Amino acid sequence: MPATFARYARIWLASIRYSLVRAMMFRGDFLMWALVEFFWMSVNVLLVGIIYGHTDSIAGWSKYEMLLLVGSTLLVQRLLMAFFWSNLFELGRNVRSGHFDFFLAQPGAPLFMISTRKFDLDGLVNVPVALAVVVYAAHQLQLHPSLGQIAAYALFIVCGLALHYATLLTIISLVFWLQSAKGIEGGYFGLTEFSRLPRESLRGITAVLFVYALPVVIVSNVPARVLIHGFEPVYAAWLLAATVFWVAVALTVFHSGLRRYSSASS
Amino acid sequence: MSVLAKYRQVFLTGLQTNLVYRWNFAIRAAFSLLHLVYVFTLWGAAYAGKTDIGGFALGATLTYFTLLLVLQFFLSAANDDYEISEEIRNGLINQFLTKPINYLGYRLSLFFSARLVAGSLALLPVLAALPLLGKYLVFPGTEHLPLYLVAIPALLLAAFIQFIIAYCFGLLTFWFLEIQSFIILSLAVESVLGGQIFPLDLMPGWLYELSRWLPYYYQMYFPAALLTGRITDLGFALQGLAIQTGWAIALLFLAQALWKRGLRRHTAVGG
Repeated sequence: MPATFARYARIWLASIRYSLVRAMMFRGDFLMWALVEFFWMSVNVLLVGIIYGHTDSIAGWSKYEMLLLVGSTLLVQRLLMAFFWSNLFELGRNVRSGHFDFFLAQPGAPLFMISTRKFDLDGLVNVPVALAVVVYAAHQLQLHPSLGQIAAYALFIVCGLALHYATLLTIISLVFWLQSAKGIEGGYFGLTEFSRLPRESLRGITAVLFVYALPVVIVSNVPARVLIHGFEPVYAAWLLAATVFWVAVALTVFHSGLRRYSSASS
Repeated sequence: MSVLAKYRQVFLTGLQTNLVYRWNFAIRAAFSLLHLVYVFTLWGAAYAGKTDIGGFALGATLTYFTLLLVLQFFLSAANDDYEISEEIRNGLINQFLTKPINYLGYRLSLFFSARLVAGSLALLPVLAALPLLGKYLVFPGTEHLPLYLVAIPALLLAAFIQFIIAYCFGLLTFWFLEIQSFIILSLAVESVLGGQIFPLDLMPGWLYELSRWLPYYYQMYFPAALLTGRITDLGFALQGLAIQTGWAIALLFLAQALWKRGLRRHTAVGG
């Protein structure tokens, strides 16, 4: 088991090294993409600024509490962009083109091979920017989190990354059943928008759907709450259970799709 | 074959091609309803205990975002920039250099066919959700008729500006190998300055005034604001229409210049 783990870790590191070399070969492109991501992050922060220019509170959350929530979402998303986004996005195209065969022929678990082939440095360079948003908001709120709170926050961000990965994988895996993946990644963006909302803003059927049935709200609210309100065991258990459940769902959907897949190449 | 008949044929072919992907359009449109739920929740919470924000009631703001959702499918150049880029890279544009067909006219015909299919399919989920949405939607009454009339050319010009910007980005392939980052960056700028993230009239006054002189304002916000009563002054609307027309003409000239200069760099290979 440790040997297998070490082998996969070596493969992943080799892929990261390859991607870094490639990013440095196309430096202009890398800078442009880093700028694109930075701009999109700024748009989210700008929206908070514009709305709070006209109101003092959204569902009981002040401006800087909201900024901390948005910053936490951005942090998870940048990590997803860095490690998994391109890989999963290309899964949709590869299944359609038959290029997916290439991954099946590799000496490793197909899901690992497709998920780790590329690493996007432009996503990673914006992680400190997202962190800066979180730190700035915490500073404005005059929060002084303990080491335990910071550790819990880090753990919840990792859970968030796993949940985002599971959501994206589930959605993209629909390509095994659909004619084309064109447009279906929009489902991911549609769902993750809810992670920028305070839980208290959702009521009735939307609360049932996006807070309880799907993990899209708790994914950001739980990390933000641990810094603002301290460690809350119920929320922590909720997020951990949701992570385990949704990763299992994503794996089931992906492997069902994999069994349907018939090679498209000659 | 008359000039119009050629492009009509391209338009009809485009309709057929786009209908192949009808399920993808429909899924995308259904997903976009999620965005509407997000917008309703966010702005609903922001309006809690308030009668207006920036001079507009909750209903007016929700109507604006709902209309924007529909307009996006009817007006936005979804994939045209990538397709143009692909046609340049693969040498497919070579056939247009020797045939009596204008490439811009060809792409414009395809753009309109794609918008017709996408827009019509996007209407279906919105219509299905109308029993739920209906109570939030508030459109201005008959006193707003002159503004509605201004909105008709504004919508056509908005679609043209959307297309021509995408066309220009596609033509950048003559100079750059990869244009995706330019497109996504432009999309981000368009989203903000086109009023898709928040109504532009909520921005500080000086920023709003500045945005009025940029083409992005006329891609989405301007026609949506005319139709939802965020712009009520006829003189202001006509001035906007004049600026919009100016941008459409300027961008057309830019596109022609890029095409001519780009072709000088282009090498057609093959038998």
